[in-house]
Amino acid sequence: MSIVPPPGATPAHDPAFATDATVVVDELSVWFGPKVALSELSCSFGPGVTGLLGPNGAGKTTLLRAMAGLTTVNQGSVRVEGRDPRRDRRVHGRVALVPEDEAVPAGLTARQFVRYIADLNAVADRGAPDAALSAVGMLEDADRRVDGFSKGMRQRTKVAAALVKDPQILVLDEPLNGADPVQRVHLISLFKQLGSSGRTVIVSSHVLNEVERLAERVIVLIHGRLAAAGDYHAIRDAMDDRPRHVLVRTDDPRGLAAELVGLDAVGGVTFDLPRDGLVIQTLQAREFAMALPRLAREASARLLEVRALDDSLESLFRELVR
Amino acid sequence: MTATTHVPAVRPRSRFVAIIRFTLQSCLPMRRWVGVLLPSLGALLFALLSRAADAPAPEAFAHVAAEGIFSLLVPVAALVIGDAVLGAEVRAGTFQFTWLSPAPFWQIIVGRWLAGSAVALVTIAPACALAALVAGVPEAAGPAYLAGAAGSLAYIALFIAVASITRRTAVWSLAIVFLVERLLGAALSGIAQVSPTWLSRAVFVGHLDDPPRRLLRDGVPLGNDAVVRLAIVTTVSLLIALWRVRHMRLSGATD
Repeated sequence: MSIVPPPGATPAHDPAFATDATVVVDELSVWFGPKVALSELSCSFGPGVTGLLGPNGAGKTTLLRAMAGLTTVNQGSVRVEGRDPRRDRRVHGRVALVPEDEAVPAGLTARQFVRYIADLNAVADRGAPDAALSAVGMLEDADRRVDGFSKGMRQRTKVAAALVKDPQILVLDEPLNGADPVQRVHLISLFKQLGSSGRTVIVSSHVLNEVERLAERVIVLIHGRLAAAGDYHAIRDAMDDRPRHVLVRTDDPRGLAAELVGLDAVGGVTFDLPRDGLVIQTLQAREFAMALPRLAREASARLLEVRALDDSLESLFRELVR
Repeated sequence: MTATTHVPAVRPRSRFVAIIRFTLQSCLPMRRWVGVLLPSLGALLFALLSRAADAPAPEAFAHVAAEGIFSLLVPVAALVIGDAVLGAEVRAGTFQFTWLSPAPFWQIIVGRWLAGSAVALVTIAPACALAALVAGVPEAAGPAYLAGAAGSLAYIALFIAVASITRRTAVWSLAIVFLVERLLGAALSGIAQVSPTWLSRAVFVGHLDDPPRRLLRDGVPLGNDAVVRLAIVTTVSLLIALWRVRHMRLSGATD
């Protein structure tokens, strides 16, 4: 697993490329005037849930919109099941996009909106709109107007509108925005279920801890370029040569600190008085983890808690953009 | 997905009908209806003013209708409708829900134009006919309805085309009506020949029994010939909109 695709890597060996890819992005560049949103991006997406991550302005929304055919590409290409989503209208029967912005059609109830999308997609099943609304927990509010909904309810209604056509490829731009914790758990479960049923589910989100739970595979974009790809933990493991911070709480911080400063794996030790512990900076997390119990025993210090402070996608972003 | 009810699969509903229904339900909220009805009421006001003119009623109404109703109120009311059925949705960021469907573009454009036209046929055109009655010229009601209908349908198509080209639909549309059609069209016959304002005037004047000579213009067809010319303008506008929507670069409301 690599942080960035090695030079000359073939798609078969590159974590940026999925096996059985349904969406293929090839040397894609998109710019808006002088602003480059995506730069020579190559990756692919296949069945299952893939998380698309990156800080604001990384190009996530542009990539998702290019996949849906909403954005014209300046260079390179996007192919959805081998078709150009910008030119071939048949793609839109297979792909559903849940856009990030809150805009919803005015004056329609949730049921009317979802039914409109169903009609546009020639869905024959008259029960499909209610089934889709039920799937996102919106059936009880189906007869309320969508422009009066909260942000979370709008998002769920848009997810229902995407689901009603039973898409093979579901592109979700920040779908958990505004959802309360219970709804988030419900939506995450729904997306995982869709992914495990063989659909390609691509989720962009800033709710990083949930994406960790949701996505089997992660694509990280930074400044419009591919920064990392693969399994989240594999990406984190591949960053072993980068500093990590570990909180160690003990009943004898000073004694343990004295033992730790002599360890090669430790780059720095600081006292964390509010948490009554030590923050250790290490470049060799595995060696440090193996040595810590021994050193604590030698210092006669009792370990109360050992916790990685930066084992999250926020820290990953920080490291990757550094 | 968990189905709560089991409804047997039947033939899917028509996309075309869905687009028309959606346009009427979502794109034309109450304030848009008010925006259409106010200029329509203005037509009645113009009709009342014509009664105060020092001229025979048919001649007075013909002048008021040509200068005020077909040159000012019909384009403004049609702009409210034309912007609502596409431009406002593009600006709001909700047009993507329609665009991202397998529905053919022609159905999207024509469906929206038909929905807007239906609104014009029950608001603008009847207001033109009613104005003739209020002015005391019942024989002009038919020509006024026809001219109002043909003119507003052409304008709605034109404003849909403008909305497919620019987000500033209102500004560009008003510029076309008042700068290009009124100002340049008054001087250049070539512009008047494809101008909905001049052509709807010509439809009205051409169907009057004794039209005032001042309202006849060389080079601009009259009566049914003007209706045909307006139909051509409408078709060309819809084709431009169709081509533009196909290549539209849609962005969200926040972009």
